[in-house]
Amino acid sequence: MKRFVGMWLVIGAVLVGLVGLFAAFYALAALGARGAVALGFPGFFGSAIVNAVTLMAVTLMTVAALLTVAERKWSAAMQDRIGANRILVLGKFPLGGVPYLLADALKMLTKESIYPAARSKFLFELAPVLAFSPTFALFAVVPVGPEVRALGQTVGMWVANPDAGLLWIFALAGLSVYGTTLAGWASNSRVGMLGAVRASAQMISYEVSLGLSLVGVMIAYRTVNLQAMAIAQGVEVLGPVPALGLLLQPLGFLVFFTSSFAETKRAPFDLPEGESEIVGYFLEYSGMKFGLLFLAEFVEVVILAAVTTAVFLGGWHPVLFEGWLKAHLDPLAFGAVCAASFLAKVILLTWLQLVIRWLLPRFRYDQIQGLCWKLLLPGALVNVFVTAAAVLVDPSLQVLAWIGVVEIVAIFGITMAVSKPKAAHGGHDHGDAHGHAAHAAGH
Amino acid sequence: MAKESDNLLVVPPVPAESPLDAPFPSKRMLVNLGPSHPAMHGTVRAVVELDGETIHGMKLDIGFLHRGFEKTCENVTWTQVFPYTDRLNYVSSIMNNVGYAMAVEKLCGLQIPERAQYLRVITSELHRMCDHFTLVSAMGLELGAMTVLIYGMEARDLIWDRLTELCGARLTSNYARVGGVSRDVPEGWGEKVERTLDRAAEMADEIDRLLTRNRIVIDRTRGTGVISRADAIDYGFTGPCLRASGEPYDVRKASPYLVYDRLDFDVPVGTNGDNFDRYLMRMEELKQSDRIVRQCFAQMQPGAIASDDPRFVLPPKPEVYGTIEGAMAHFKIIMEGIKVPAGEAYAYVEAANGELGFYAVSDGGGRPYKLGVRAPGWNMLMALPQIMEGHMLADLIPTFDTVNMIGGEVEQ
Repeated sequence: MKRFVGMWLVIGAVLVGLVGLFAAFYALAALGARGAVALGFPGFFGSAIVNAVTLMAVTLMTVAALLTVAERKWSAAMQDRIGANRILVLGKFPLGGVPYLLADALKMLTKESIYPAARSKFLFELAPVLAFSPTFALFAVVPVGPEVRALGQTVGMWVANPDAGLLWIFALAGLSVYGTTLAGWASNSRVGMLGAVRASAQMISYEVSLGLSLVGVMIAYRTVNLQAMAIAQGVEVLGPVPALGLLLQPLGFLVFFTSSFAETKRAPFDLPEGESEIVGYFLEYSGMKFGLLFLAEFVEVVILAAVTTAVFLGGWHPVLFEGWLKAHLDPLAFGAVCAASFLAKVILLTWLQLVIRWLLPRFRYDQIQGLCWKLLLPGALVNVFVTAAAVLVDPSLQVLAWIGVVEIVAIFGITMAVSKPKAAHGGHDHGDAHGHAAHAAGH
Repeated sequence: MAKESDNLLVVPPVPAESPLDAPFPSKRMLVNLGPSHPAMHGTVRAVVELDGETIHGMKLDIGFLHRGFEKTCENVTWTQVFPYTDRLNYVSSIMNNVGYAMAVEKLCGLQIPERAQYLRVITSELHRMCDHFTLVSAMGLELGAMTVLIYGMEARDLIWDRLTELCGARLTSNYARVGGVSRDVPEGWGEKVERTLDRAAEMADEIDRLLTRNRIVIDRTRGTGVISRADAIDYGFTGPCLRASGEPYDVRKASPYLVYDRLDFDVPVGTNGDNFDRYLMRMEELKQSDRIVRQCFAQMQPGAIASDDPRFVLPPKPEVYGTIEGAMAHFKIIMEGIKVPAGEAYAYVEAANGELGFYAVSDGGGRPYKLGVRAPGWNMLMALPQIMEGHMLADLIPTFDTVNMIGGEVEQ
């Protein structure tokens, strides 16, 4: 009981801290905007530059780095272990393993870089950068918070807000495959090469279902701009229930979540690594170059969780008590609450990915392709047609929302039905992305 | 710098049937898995010829753990062989001890007390559980489900803790002796073992829930690594791998040794001979071993733990220190070794991986004249190239796991 209460106290404190942090970020962005105006540029120049630092370099990198620690601790919790606790601050406090973050970074930076003699010199250096930077840049278009008027300036919590937001995401997500492919190819190792081929085949296949799963969302909200999408998700559609992407597009959500999981190349989709088979495309890398490939994976997890949140989980809308909050808080504080709730949702999604990653074994190369082309892709296509038809019939999204409700009930029903133990082996396991996708596509 | 093309085998293009079927020139790739490879536990090298990810030809290179077991044993007394047998299948060493002790006892014509027989069965079955837990959890690990590994290790370590209390070592038990066992159980050990078994059964359940009905595990293991019943018999498979192919051969049932004929247990038999069946065999045998151990505790009576034949068994310590006869008997057995009557004998037990046989030849002296081991893992390892032909590289990993090759016994 004491632990339970303590846990909720910590979570509450973290949330309050996040709200404060984002209030500060808004203020900084407004200061940046004022500075830009004073120098004769448009205001959003300044806020964009400030946000690039606060959101991408500080928030994103911190969350990704903390995720490495969280992975250690959470996997330990799942496996009846204690996990990382050997580094003691002031000789006494393990601080939940957080100091490992610094130790890991120090280790990566100071380790010797070993170069395979027969490497392709330029591409070997380029690959980690190519793997890291497109993923990282993806975050630029994700709207973390609403537009807020502060210090006489209207500022948003995003780096850029292009009209072609989702297309930017597709373009950059497609680029990141070069990094992994080149990493395996340039190191001139057969095992690395196998990993690279697996990685490119997997990422290109899942790119297709990733894209198609979002077409339904585009149809429903009639936009590809992520900020517009976030605003549209705040509109009430079924009584008081807002038009969340999860409600309108449950099938699209499952396909997108599974595909984005495959994009991150983590278990059960970690074939490019497959540490017990071929060790992976980064086999020949060491030192910080390996660190970059390693960190790219975690950054990708956070960013794809952010995109999922923005598109399907209502973006920065706090959803609960939103009306009350909006009426009783001043706009800056409300914006900060929104941004904090966005980050909270992202953390929730990354946690879900952690759980799945530590529960499930990995697929085989041909099975992973089968899952993509035989289940996810048809599922996404069906979703596109159903969504288009529903929007055509009823542009107010009511029909689509009801279809979504039916889909959710059906998915839960089927999952519950097949997850009951049977005499014969061969049922689906519950709580599994593959299982969900299979049922979803099946109905 | 090695030339890129050194190990790439150019496959001659298949003659095209029509001018439009342009043959696509393909190359096969030689990949070394091991000797140091995360999946090749027990230091073995597999040279795999790959066409894409499909295995076309595979060579196994063993010998990295070769220690000259059989030759070494000719230079030590019969009793001193026991520690060496620990290192054969180091995951379940007591069964090696028991098998060897039975071969020597067969030569000597020695009957061992009932309590010693029960103790041998209890410890053997506990070690069988260790072996199966190791296999199942390692399979989980190598399929990518690392959580399973930790659960299996917890159960295994608990059992090892109990065996440490009994014989003082986790891995290298050195428990059996010619004529009996080395120590009786400590006070209250039986209840502790039963508590451990309860916990181990919980862990086995946990693993079962994580793996047995998991779609991915089924897809990965069903229909991969298949060996037919006839092939399995031809290759000399024994143990769970043979039973997974449908042949219900178990030494404990076919020619019961020790007290196995008094115990009630089932032998699971599979049908498909694939990795999934081999995995299920292990999960079921865990339960059966649990049953056997509990029955043994119920049936076991107090009594001697070793035969009292002074020719083969050391006298009790008070006699060694207190009487001249005891001191001399002790001295003779330790310095010269027990005098095993000349002859040859083959004794075999059902070890965790199959039939473990010891062939002992004596010339009447204190040291083995010749000692041969039939290691169950050897036959199964040698069948791997045939099993894997035409399958994918990723299938090699679970197959390698479920045949459970143990470097120590394969490379004596």
